[in-house]
Amino acid sequence: MNELKLDVKKEKKAHRSQSGLNILWREIVRDKLALVSLIFLAVITTTVFVVSGLLDLNEIVRVDLFAIYEPPSENFWLGTDYGGRDIFGQLIIGTRNSLAIGFAVTLMTGIIGVSFGLITGYFGGQTDNMLMRIVDFFQILPFLMVVIVFVAIVPNYGIVEFSLIMTGFLWMGIARIIRSKTLQERELDYAQASQTLGTPRWKIMFGQILPNLSSLIIVTMTLNLAANIGLESGLSFLGFGFPERMPSLGTLLSYATNPQTLENRWWIWMPAAILIFLLMLSVRNVGEALKRATDARQRRG
Amino acid sequence: MAFLEINDLHVHFPIKGGILNRTIDSVKAVNGVSFQVEQGKTYGLVGESGSGKTTTGRAIIGLNEITSGQVIFEGNDLAATENKKLDVKRDVQMIFQDPYSSLNPKKRVLDIVAEPLRNYEKLSRSQEVERVADLLEKVGLSPESIFKYPHEFSGGQRQRIGIARAIALKPKLIIADEPVSALDVSVQAQVLNFMREIQKELNLTYLFISHDLGIVKHMSDRIGIMYKGRFVEEGDTEDIFSNPQHIYTKRLVAAIPDINPKNRDAQKKFREEVQLEYQKDYGRYFDEKGLAFNLRNISQTHLAALPEIGVVE
Repeated sequence: MNELKLDVKKEKKAHRSQSGLNILWREIVRDKLALVSLIFLAVITTTVFVVSGLLDLNEIVRVDLFAIYEPPSENFWLGTDYGGRDIFGQLIIGTRNSLAIGFAVTLMTGIIGVSFGLITGYFGGQTDNMLMRIVDFFQILPFLMVVIVFVAIVPNYGIVEFSLIMTGFLWMGIARIIRSKTLQERELDYAQASQTLGTPRWKIMFGQILPNLSSLIIVTMTLNLAANIGLESGLSFLGFGFPERMPSLGTLLSYATNPQTLENRWWIWMPAAILIFLLMLSVRNVGEALKRATDARQRRG
Repeated sequence: MAFLEINDLHVHFPIKGGILNRTIDSVKAVNGVSFQVEQGKTYGLVGESGSGKTTTGRAIIGLNEITSGQVIFEGNDLAATENKKLDVKRDVQMIFQDPYSSLNPKKRVLDIVAEPLRNYEKLSRSQEVERVADLLEKVGLSPESIFKYPHEFSGGQRQRIGIARAIALKPKLIIADEPVSALDVSVQAQVLNFMREIQKELNLTYLFISHDLGIVKHMSDRIGIMYKGRFVEEGDTEDIFSNPQHIYTKRLVAAIPDINPKNRDAQKKFREEVQLEYQKDYGRYFDEKGLAFNLRNISQTHLAALPEIGVVE
């Protein structure tokens, strides 16, 4: 008798898990690759943020002419660069900076893009027409050139300024996706029912329609995160990211533009390259699993 | 003064086209409709798909923009712009056709049914739960289901949740847009009878939109028949079913299947007669654009869109 009760409870539980975030979570657990990627990401993120708190940035970026291009040793776990600076410390802090930027940009573009998309999609008609032209305008701007100009103009910049510049030119993609989905959702009866029940428009947008876009938002933002980390590294590699006193994965990688370093001093750029590769790949793995979870036909779990 | 009065209602949808996306034409979904509904009664609006019956209902509650005409509800013109913000909204509610899309899948039953209450009444959390539980009990659902999600219910149960939401504010007029079309026949009767019960209990007025004549006959006190955005006939249920005047109504009435096998021959004969008349006289009942004429009085309660030259037959 007791067992039967337990069974019913279990079934109820399984039934409940069909809704919302649980589907996403189940898909990740089913997809071993995504699960490993997620754990890897979690481990890297916590390690990097904890360890970088223990490291002294000024100590690491101080030039030490007696320790130039040291190979990995007990003193310098990953050797030193042309200024005698510890690569391991730079790697940790660089990863933290890159991740922080990735998260900040993803979050900010997410907030702007989702609000913009919801408003355009929900109001539709002329409002939609006008607001989407703004999106078009931002989209045709040559992103790279504008960023280079900003870097040249803004004299003193760090994580916040850099994220803001990137956000300014990266919110359009998510805005377009959310808009098109909102255009569909607002025609559904539940949105119209809310209207007849006297719910104000902003409440319908953010209270009724937004929850129905949650899985789409999570998926898009995850995939954007991978892209943003890559973009930041790319810009730093080109020299338009952080100055040298603020390490980033891209800066470490850019040392490889020196043929001597590329050929003989693998310890300077190899760890950063591998880390960028692994980070982007795992974020993508998780993102793809989430994306699959939103489509019932592709689901594995 | 009538409880709800519709005067010469027009709802037109623009057709955009050309180079500059100008309005080149319009679809006249509702093209000059007038009728009156008395309090506590059910007015049935019938017509084929595309006849404008749903658009009429949606225009009354404000989901479609009214091109011209008046919707006078208890003396207030809902179509006039200065009355848009009027609080009559809470007295007019709607039951939607599709019980699957009319409930937000991400919300619990509590949030769905409490939505109108949160908009118009300031209730504490416990009062709100109590009210919602009461409403659910009224529509025959167990109050324990308030924390469930819509997908955990069957179609009939979902429609009851929709009804609970519509009656939450104790409205005076409910626009029921094909409330049972998406439901199983076995559940239809259940929902319909339940709707009649609460009508008596709360003195509700229904504007009942449907394409199913059998259901409309069962539910309505008065019926309007629409075709291409216009009324072809209007009258008490008795008038429409025993003395249809317009050829369109006749065909509709003739098409209702009779369950009694003894009447089969009579039915067949009636249908054939109507078909013959339809083929012979179709053109006489509509003007050169294929639209119905203006309604004319046949008796105190009965109006039909017959041509000027006397009554046919």
